[in-house]
Formats: sequence, structure tokens, C-alpha cells
Amino acid sequence: MAGQVALARPGGARRFVGAGSLLRAVLRRPEGLIGVIILTFFALLAIAPELFVGPLQTAVTAKGPRLSPPIEGFPLGTDHLRRDMINLTVHGARVSMVIGLLATVITVLVGAVVGIVSGFAGGRLDGFLMRITDFFLVIPTFVLALILTPILRDLVGSGSREVFGIRMTLVVIVVVIGITSWSSTARIIRSQTLSLKERAFVDRARVIGAGGGHIMRRHILPNVINLIVANAVIVFAGAVLTETFLSFVGLGDPLQPSWGQLLESARAIGAPGLGAWWYFVPPSACIVLVVLAFTLVGSALDDQLNPKRRERR
Amino acid sequence: MSYLARRLGSALLTIAMIVIINFILFRAMPGSPERVILRGTPNVTTAQLNAARERWGLNDPIFPDQFGAFVVATVRGDLGYSFVARGQTVGQVIGQRIWPTVILFGLGEIIAIAAGLALGAISGWRRGGIIDQVGNGISLVLYSTPYFIIGMALLLIFGPGLGWFPTFGMLEAGARYTDILDRLGDFLAHLALPLTTVALGLIGQYAIVMRSSIIETLSEDYVTTARAMGLRDGRILRRHALPNALLPTVTLIAINLGYIVAGAITVEVVFNWPGLGTLAVEALEARDYPVLQGVFLVLGVSVVLANLVADLIYGVLDPRVRS
Repeated sequence: MAGQVALARPGGARRFVGAGSLLRAVLRRPEGLIGVIILTFFALLAIAPELFVGPLQTAVTAKGPRLSPPIEGFPLGTDHLRRDMINLTVHGARVSMVIGLLATVITVLVGAVVGIVSGFAGGRLDGFLMRITDFFLVIPTFVLALILTPILRDLVGSGSREVFGIRMTLVVIVVVIGITSWSSTARIIRSQTLSLKERAFVDRARVIGAGGGHIMRRHILPNVINLIVANAVIVFAGAVLTETFLSFVGLGDPLQPSWGQLLESARAIGAPGLGAWWYFVPPSACIVLVVLAFTLVGSALDDQLNPKRRERR
Repeated sequence: MSYLARRLGSALLTIAMIVIINFILFRAMPGSPERVILRGTPNVTTAQLNAARERWGLNDPIFPDQFGAFVVATVRGDLGYSFVARGQTVGQVIGQRIWPTVILFGLGEIIAIAAGLALGAISGWRRGGIIDQVGNGISLVLYSTPYFIIGMALLLIFGPGLGWFPTFGMLEAGARYTDILDRLGDFLAHLALPLTTVALGLIGQYAIVMRSSIIETLSEDYVTTARAMGLRDGRILRRHALPNALLPTVTLIAINLGYIVAGAITVEVVFNWPGLGTLAVEALEARDYPVLQGVFLVLGVSVVLANLVADLIYGVLDPRVRS
């Protein structure tokens, strides 16, 4: 079956449960199904916001009334720059989701490499890497991110450069989230690697002369890939939240507004005090829905992958 | 090595790493350090630059001279001067802002731990019951909601809508108080909304952790044994399930402290609560790096110490981890 790679490999290394069957298992659980539906909806918005609401409105192109509650033609109202809130919220989906996705990729990559190498190598390297991991696990990484972001921005000289259509200011945010949030992934992957290392197929591979790098890539990695996927779901939720927090304290980019950036603007003009609920309810609802959806999918995945929880259902 | 010594050593190492990061960040700051120090001085000449380099010891080797001096200063509590609040040390600036944060989050944590653990324990115990279904749903939503969004919602409802509570700062600006009680009343009125926000933000998380912890515990053999012995439900919950379920919860609460700081900062910003969070954001806007690093040091050390305390409590509660 497509997506389901051979289960019996020489040496008995068991590969993927199969991406397809993992997804089906998630969809069988009601909370998993709800989560996937919500995420699909926001993924569609993020892929083609122009298709739904046209190009992003700016203070120049916006023609709505100023800070108006929902009226005909503007079902979600407008902000203080006359921009349509629907337009802003849908385009915010792209910014928030893309930053979340890229930050997740970096986080999971760093975490998986550190975890596998640390668990497999053991000894002093393991001790050293785990010291650093524990450091990032304990300290308030958000405050570190607050300091790192402006320093990195000044170092790369943000200007108006773009990478893949993402402004440099946001690229810096992606990198900062990535390097401050990989520690729990590393911990989880390491403990799985430690138990895999003792299994017979690793010994056999070693006996026939396989090197450390080969064993890690061909025998350990395939066996932790499911765990990495499950962890990525949780990491994604965290990345979206962290981006929201960073934007909310003024580190976002007003020219590519994420949901957090919209909330920052709303706070800056005192929208809650003015009773202008339409300014911050749409982006807030989106953030809560996306994080909730990831949490639901993560919980369904956990039930599937964690046999202890599965049998207790 | 004893359990105590190991935990203590690891906490000290983490604090040392925070200091090292602070040092590296100061060196990595955009524009050489002397330019940052002389910021705001018009037409800096080469002579002035060199004088500043000499005066601040920037001509000495980075290691060990500069690093050593930095560590000694940090240990003595000398965190340098704020760029913005001229003439004030970072220690003074932080000292003025630390208590509002301690009060807000100390009280918030106490309320949330009590309410969250109770809700979680009841949900897990009566799994599938009405309290569980409603409570778990609310917990999940609260858990997924950034604190400041809860804050903005409360502000909208109780600020302009009902006008029950003041929504800005810690005391009424320019108010005169007849006595200490009057002042306390004003303070409490200002505290109400931010405190509710913090408590609501934390309750969801604690309830979820406690619920799954109780559920794990209930399938343990000793609970089955207690049931077989004919003990009443309430007694099984209080004497057998709760104490064991509390153990992992203590650790999780401690581990999550570092993450809670992010929420703390944003809640303070929403309500203009004059604590470390608003200080961090003000320093960020003004690029007041010494203050920002001071806040990082203070919050980092607090979280490390809180974790140490949690570890020690765990060691007392569960002798197995000491070996």
C-alpha cells in the first residue's frame, strides 16, 4: 500500500507505521477529526488568501469606514486604518501559519538531531548536550527571545529584504523561535533512542560493521519518525503561540501582519477599552481555534502511539 | 553524591549559563559596546571612543579579564546602568518593578493551583460525568488561549461594558488616600482583572495535568486493592489516588514556569500593570539592553530556584527519586 513501507527489513528494523494509517487512526477519534477539519480550513486560507479576500489591504488601498463595527459590506468591521477585518484576518492566517510551520521545522530538526546523537553517542557528548538541553528547558526562553530578536535584527540589518516572500523581520522571528524551543523535542527523542540502542537489530548492524552515522540514519531515525511527527504537532501549537506573544509585545511586522500583530495594533489603539470587540475577536478566535486544533490532533496521536494510553480507553 | 547536592549543583550550573549568555549577548550587541555606551552623545571623536574603551575595560582581553569582571559584578548585584532611566542602576529599576509581579503571580498561582487541581481531580475521578465534560472542555479552551486574549476579553466585558473595575495600572493616578485601607481598596480593585486573567490562564493547564494524572493513578494496582478492601470512594481518592497523582503534577507545574513567564509579560502589558513584564517591554521598545538582560537574569534565576524547590519537594514526597 502506498505510504506503508515494508515492515520487515533486514535485521528486523521496523519502519513507519505508515503516514496514511497514522492519519486514519487520528481521524477515527472524534477530537482528531475535529482538529484536522479546523486545520485544513486554516491551511486553505493560508495557502491562497488572495483567492478568498483579494490582496492584503494597506492604509493606502483600504476604503472602508474608520473603526466601524460590522456593517453591510464589512461583516467583521474595520480597523482604525479603514482596513477590512476579514481581509486582515485571512491574510494573518498566512503569516501566522507560515511562521509557525517554518519555526516548527527548525525546532524539530534541531531537537531530533540533538536527541538522536545524544542518546546514541552517550558518554561525555551526551552529558554536554543534555546540560544545554536542560538549560533551555528550564529558563524562561521567551525573555531570551525578547533579547535575541532585536539583536539579531540589527545584526542582519533587516531593511526591506525578503526571503521566499517573507520579510527579514519575520525570518528572524522564525530563527529565534527555532533556537529557543527545541529542548523538549530533544529530550523525548533521546529517551526513545536510548531504548532503541539496546535492541538486537542495532547490535546486528554493528556486528556487520555499520558505522554510527549509518545506524543513526537507517535504524534509529526510521524508528523515531512517528514520535517526531507527534511531537511536531505540539511544537507547531507552541510556535504559533510564541509568535503571537512576540508580535503582541511589538516584535511583529506591521507590513506583514500576523494575528498577534493585529492584536498588538488593537491593544495599541485601546480597542478593548473603546468597546471595539470586532478588532480583536476575529484574530483571537483564529489563534484559539488553531492552537486547540493542534492540541486535539496531538492528543489523538498520543493515544495512537502511546500503548499505555490506548489500552486504557 | 547526595540528591540535594546534585540538584543544587545543577541549579548553580544553569544560573552560571544564564550569566554567560548575558555576557555573550552584551558582546554581540549591534555596534560595538562602546558605541552603545556612548549612544546619544553627538559627534563622537576617536579620542572619546578610545577613552570609553579604556574606561570600560574594553581593551582588556575578553577572557579572562572582561568576563571575570562581568561575573564578579553580576554576583555582587551590579547589573550596570539603565540607558533610559539616566543615573539609575538596573538593580534600582528592577527593584521598583518586582513586587507588583510577585503579588500578581504569587496570588494567581495559588488560586490556579487550588482551583485547577480540584477541578482536575474531580474530572478525572468522575470521568465522563457532567463536571468532567464541561470542565475538561473549558480547560482545553483556556489552555489554548493566550493569557492576554483572556485579559482583553475581561477588559472588554468589565471595563467599558460594566465599568466595575479600573483597567489601567496598579493605583489611580494622582489619587489621594484618606487612610491605608482606602489605598488597599484601590489596589485590590486594580488587581481584580489581571489576577482573574492569570488565574484563568493557569487553571486550564493545571486541571488537564491533574486529570490525566488521576486517571493514570486510578488504574494502579493499589487503587484496585483499596477497592477490593471495600474502602469508600472518598477515602480511596483522598488517601490513595490524590497523593500519588500529585507527584507528577508538581514536576509539571515547575517545568511550565518558564513558559508561564511569556504569558505573564503579556498580561501585564494588557493592564499596564507596573511589573517586570511591562518593564521588559518598555526596555525592548527603548532598546534598553542592560535592563532587558537584568530582567532575563532575575526571571531566569527565579524560575531555576522555583524548579529547585519543586525538585526538593518531590524528593521529600517520593523517596525513590533520591537514589
